[in-house]
Amino acid sequence: MEDKRIFSDICGGRLALQCRSYSPFCREFCVSCPRLSLRSLTAVTCTVWLAAYGLFALCENSMILSAAIFITLLGLLGYLHFVKIDQETLLIIDSLGIQMTSSYASGKENTTFIEMGKVKDIVINEAIYMQKVIYYLCILLKDPLEPHNISQVVPVFQSAKPRLDCLIEVYKSCQEVLAHQKATSTRP
Amino acid sequence: MAYRGGGGHVKPPSALCSSVNSGKFSTCTALSHNICMVSDFFYPNMGGVESHIYQLSQCLIQRGHKVIIVTHAYRDRKGIRYLTNGLKVYYLPLKVMYNQSTATTLFHSLPLLRYIFVRERVTIVHSHSSFSSMAHDALFHAKTMGLHTVFTDHSLFGFADVSSVLTNKLLTVSLCDTNHIICVSYTSKENTVLRAALKPEIVSVIPNAVDPTDFTPDPFRRHDSITIVVVSRLVYRKGTDLLCGIIPELCQKYQNLNFIIGGEGPKRIILEEVRERYQLHDRVRLLGALEHKDVRDVLVQGHIFLNTSLTEAFCMAIVEAASCGLQVVSTKVGGIPEVLPESLIVLCEPSVKSLCEGLEKAIFQLKSGTLPTPENIHNIVKTFYTWKNVARRTEKVYELVLKEDVLSVDKRLDRLISHCGSVTGHIFALLAVLNYLFLIVLRWITPDSVIDVAIDATGPRGAWTHHCPHSEKRGENEKVSKTR
Repeated sequence: MEDKRIFSDICGGRLALQCRSYSPFCREFCVSCPRLSLRSLTAVTCTVWLAAYGLFALCENSMILSAAIFITLLGLLGYLHFVKIDQETLLIIDSLGIQMTSSYASGKENTTFIEMGKVKDIVINEAIYMQKVIYYLCILLKDPLEPHNISQVVPVFQSAKPRLDCLIEVYKSCQEVLAHQKATSTRP
Repeated sequence: MAYRGGGGHVKPPSALCSSVNSGKFSTCTALSHNICMVSDFFYPNMGGVESHIYQLSQCLIQRGHKVIIVTHAYRDRKGIRYLTNGLKVYYLPLKVMYNQSTATTLFHSLPLLRYIFVRERVTIVHSHSSFSSMAHDALFHAKTMGLHTVFTDHSLFGFADVSSVLTNKLLTVSLCDTNHIICVSYTSKENTVLRAALKPEIVSVIPNAVDPTDFTPDPFRRHDSITIVVVSRLVYRKGTDLLCGIIPELCQKYQNLNFIIGGEGPKRIILEEVRERYQLHDRVRLLGALEHKDVRDVLVQGHIFLNTSLTEAFCMAIVEAASCGLQVVSTKVGGIPEVLPESLIVLCEPSVKSLCEGLEKAIFQLKSGTLPTPENIHNIVKTFYTWKNVARRTEKVYELVLKEDVLSVDKRLDRLISHCGSVTGHIFALLAVLNYLFLIVLRWITPDSVIDVAIDATGPRGAWTHHCPHSEKRGENEKVSKTR
């Protein structure tokens, strides 16, 4: 079962939320941002090159032009490999745990897995972020020594930052899974 | 201001509240406001302004309004917190400059404050305390955004020294286009009207209140000796120097007289000197800083409460003491004569001689047994100042304010230039224009429609006050975004 819906992020950009449910208690949520657009790529490259040509006209040293080529290339590679995240996935399986994957534009993937025994709850929280006050979804982890305390808060969809309506969608599905997990684990 | 609905009076929240939830709960009044309290001073900092904001907000929440509080971060306390009954507090990460007051540049707080005002659908911005620069910043931004503004002044000021002259000028600028001002006593009103060159009609007087259940007399009070209690910060303004003159004089005259002094401050050292010089260690007890919850236990140990303040807008301490059933002796300064009826207070001039006479009069009354019993005093005082009454009166001010129009930009500039003198007026008019341009830039970067509407914790659609299913809350959210 697959369901794709369009939401927006906190800056007004487009986001697509894909919900796949493999079984009632194994669900996957995938938030994907639009890929790097040709327009912004061109704009950045042009600015760097114009600046380089300006400097070249001033001091007439051709090193500047070659430096500009390297800066653009390395910058682009670095951006695609370390900064630009195309897709963030949250996979929740009631008997196993939660897996978060973020895939970079270059194809690199970063995966974190949290086993269900450690998960206390999934909540939507508010935070002050830059000059904004935003909602974010986070996973609360249990303190291994005292199970009633929270030892850590793990934010989900950190780079996409979807708006509240999208978060509520994910939150409700996750809560269904968690409720089922709690019901089965307490049963003798 | 598209989200404020037509004309600014009919707000989407109240309209929704009648359509979605009509008949479901009776507390939902037709006129419920979204109020934002702004001040640099809030808990965990302790003081009169802090408890005023907290108590007033709690009572307003009970009356069905939505209230949020905005203050600056206190050390590790930053972000968003919820207090009792879903009172939401924003601790903004702004730099503290001096005395818990944030630095003001008039601009740097606009992006965050605007975001909060928009996401919480604030209709009235209520700032507290003239010492708080964040309060003035918020007023400035709220006026730029076209919101209604109310300001509460908690303190008295002088006119003579350089710092007062400067503060008064800033206050003039800040208050000349504020919709309404609240003062805590008539003396304070007179002072504020003179300082800020205001029309007296837009200034209301709403006194502070005490929680009478916190301050009850102790039925098992000892009667073998007489104890005088002083609870104040030990600073110049509170008249600690006068206290140093009174203590030796009275201790010589009366053998069974004791002093209990609660509070901390730079003047503590001179009290200790006095105690040392006259060998009064067994009769003068210095307790140091007190927590608010301990104040009652200290008060009930005494028979007479002494207040030596040199300036005071509205003295909460004497009401608290009277509520505990103590006879109050106080200096006749500021708003103090308005606070209690003559039968419950002995007023003196702020001098050692006059205060000693007043105390002797009180001691004589106590010995001859002509004073009313502590229970009687408590029962009289507890009807005077209640937070419910304060909230009701503040609500009336809000209703009045919402009927007024917010000044448009050109009228605001006119007002600034005509009211604040030509130089200051022009400077601040320029700043107001810059602020407006900054707001337009911010609106262009993040339009209001991109800002998520916060889920209310309090007010008619509050998630804390009545538990509605999640889907309904979301539905309302969507409706709000449609009405925009």
